[in-house]
Amino acid sequence: MSIVQLFLDYASALVLPAILVGFPLYGMIRKVRVYEVFVEGAKDGFHVAVMIIPYVIAILFAIGMFRASGAMDFLTDLLRPVVGMIGIPAEVIPMGIVRPLTGSGSVGIILDMINQFGEDSIFVKMAATMFGSTETTFYVIAVYFGAINIRKTRHAVPAGLIADIFAMFAAVYVVLFLFG
Amino acid sequence: MLNYIWGGLIVLSLVFALISDGNDFLQDTYRNGKPLPVTVYFEDDFDPDDHRHEVDVQITTSDLTSHYGDSLITGNTWSGALLFTSAGRELRFAEDRPLMEPLKTICDQTGQSDCRGTLQGTPTTEQWQTTITFRPVRWVKMNAIAGAAIDFAETAVTLALGLIGGLGLWMGLLKIAEASGMLQALVRLTQPLIRPLFPKVPHNHPALGLIVLNLSANFLGMGNAATPLGIKAMQELQTLNESEDTATDPMVMLLAMNTASVQIMPPVTLVAIMGLQINQLFFSIVITTALSLIVAITAVKLLSRLKRYREVAS
Repeated sequence: MSIVQLFLDYASALVLPAILVGFPLYGMIRKVRVYEVFVEGAKDGFHVAVMIIPYVIAILFAIGMFRASGAMDFLTDLLRPVVGMIGIPAEVIPMGIVRPLTGSGSVGIILDMINQFGEDSIFVKMAATMFGSTETTFYVIAVYFGAINIRKTRHAVPAGLIADIFAMFAAVYVVLFLFG
Repeated sequence: MLNYIWGGLIVLSLVFALISDGNDFLQDTYRNGKPLPVTVYFEDDFDPDDHRHEVDVQITTSDLTSHYGDSLITGNTWSGALLFTSAGRELRFAEDRPLMEPLKTICDQTGQSDCRGTLQGTPTTEQWQTTITFRPVRWVKMNAIAGAAIDFAETAVTLALGLIGGLGLWMGLLKIAEASGMLQALVRLTQPLIRPLFPKVPHNHPALGLIVLNLSANFLGMGNAATPLGIKAMQELQTLNESEDTATDPMVMLLAMNTASVQIMPPVTLVAIMGLQINQLFFSIVITTALSLIVAITAVKLLSRLKRYREVAS
């Protein structure tokens, strides 16, 4: 495990510099006017960032309201008996609900859990595994589809949510299997 | 589906806020207008004609418990200032007050940095037993959801504009990669691997190379690079799209693979939070993420066959 990790550690540290230097260098070898081409491409950055604003506003403000309304606590109480039957501890339910919605919110939940249960606790391991193995689905949808003005998302949301829900359960069982 | 979820989030937040505020109203959670017994100790020499006194305020546990009907609140002594104004005697808690619920909410809701309440009666001695009345607190959650909506709308703009730098950098680099033929080489090299997942993307199309780059960046936990690369890949996929606003199969597949997050390196944020503990979680994260990626891909494939999600025939 440590060799794998070490390799990945090096890889992720070296990939970025390699690209930053390698792309322009290869371009120069192939006689590309690198500076001019770079600027031409970089122009698009601003345009894209502005394009996604309405999408991100729409998603984030709805999620923000939902969180502020206290609905999360209610949902946790509602889900507690249901997921308890299949072996999911109630302590990790908030993470399962918040993770697809907001990144900062789920960071806050992990920090709270570390305070409450300690870093070693199995609940923290479950929550951290959930965090590490899923993404803020709605934000990603807003950014990726917003950038190209896609409003009809078809099966993107259900597919993303199915994977998220599965990952929540998988995180609990995998942690139980490895550490339980 | 996003329409329903989005609308649902907004309507549900209103419903829950109403329930919570209605409950506060019925239970009178904040005891609006009802006086709470306090003892005020004067720090400096007591002079009833002074306009301002530095004071200590003691609220006992038993008074708090019986007043708010919550056995978990504990009493304490706080520092503050007593002001003698034309409207009466006003107590202001010092700004660093460590107040607990429901006093904390009462202070936050009345909107002043120094929590204020009106004292009844006139002080006679240096240890003055009296009662305090706070300003009435109503519609806590209603205010909260309205405030959150505005805050998060602003956050959204900050987040989006924060992407400009990274987007610009990667868009520029990718343009060079395109012009130098690097991207095309990557496409030829990796398409046997990646094309089975994106069968509708034509042979040798640059989108395939960008998808590979996006997935690799995710794989290595380079979230900052993954987003611009993913956006660029989406732009390429959009050039193949016959409709303007409807997602195509390859787009949904790429998105699902991103939301399932194919990372092997844990995200930087998580490493920062967990410190050394992260090493233990390496395997659990890899296994979970691999499983959820398989589920995501399967879900996309299966759902695309459903009538309601089928691509408009082209």
